Amino acid sequence: MAAKLTEFYKQAAQEFGLAGRIKLAMLTKISSEKAESAADSPENIRVFEQALQQLRAAGG
Amino acid sequence: MKISTKLILFFCGVVTLFVLLAFALLAQTRTVSAGYDALLSQQVRQAEAARVIQVSFKKQVQEWKDILLRGSAPADLDKYTRQFHEEESQVRAGATKLAGEVQDAACRDLLNEFLAAHRTLSDKYQAAYQVYVGGNFDFKSADKLVRGQDRPPTDLFDQVVQRLSDDVSASVSAQERAVGRARNLALAVSGGLLLGLGLVGFLTVSNILKRLGRLKAVSDRLAAADIEGLAVDISGPDEIGQFGDSMKGVHAAIEELSRLAAAAAAA
Repeated sequence: MAAKLTEFYKQAAQEFGLAGRIKLAMLTKISSEKAESAADSPENIRVFEQALQQLRAAGG
Repeated sequence: MKISTKLILFFCGVVTLFVLLAFALLAQTRTVSAGYDALLSQQVRQAEAARVIQVSFKKQVQEWKDILLRGSAPADLDKYTRQFHEEESQVRAGATKLAGEVQDAACRDLLNEFLAAHRTLSDKYQAAYQVYVGGNFDFKSADKLVRGQDRPPTDLFDQVVQRLSDDVSASVSAQERAVGRARNLALAVSGGLLLGLGLVGFLTVSNILKRLGRLKAVSDRLAAADIEGLAVDISGPDEIGQFGDSMKGVHAAIEELSRLAAAAAAA
């Protein structure tokens, strides 16, 4: 269970709605379903953080 | 490595190979040309000079016979005597020069033997000439003194000519063998390099086509919204790897969209 990665999806949905979730999936290349089973590895967390920052920079 | 870099490197490799082959061919042509030049400037020229001396000697003997045959007329005696001595001088000067030039020791020895025999023959001709002129142009007495005497020097010089001709033939054969070896080496090296480049090119293109095929299969499934169990396992540092990476993003986005759609439908 990747709690941290799932948290990123919730964060994206809160900030940018459904489009934010889809864009996060596109940027990280990991869908929310796969994020649930993926490891909260430092590499994965770094990728999600960068993607979220990119979304924020672009305004969603 | 990017495909564009691979293609540029391959192109540069082919161009470099052909430039190197052109230079090698040029160098080989120069070597062959230099070999034949050396052959022409030495051995062929010496063989030709030997033939000229051989002919001059035969003409000298012919002039002697003309002296005996027509020397009773003072004008003919003067004419043929002068021509006899001219040919004699030419033979001696030519043979002396040739003896100083030839590399083959056996040939040089033959030439020196010929020169010694030619000097002896000249003395005999001179004695016979005195008998001929002093004996009221009695050609039989004069001829008796030198009859058959030109055979030994003739035989000696025939050997010189034969030996020099054989040397030329042997050198031409050696040159032809060297050219053949160089040609075979050039063919083997250029063939090997072309084969190597062809193999590298074939493997590169095969790899690109194989990965493009996998990319197309992924693209076809995405286009058909067939994402169930789809795995985009195309990676690499080149353009296809980058494209595959983008496909992973598209795949994840479609998966996310499907999940959201399913959730919305269930609600």
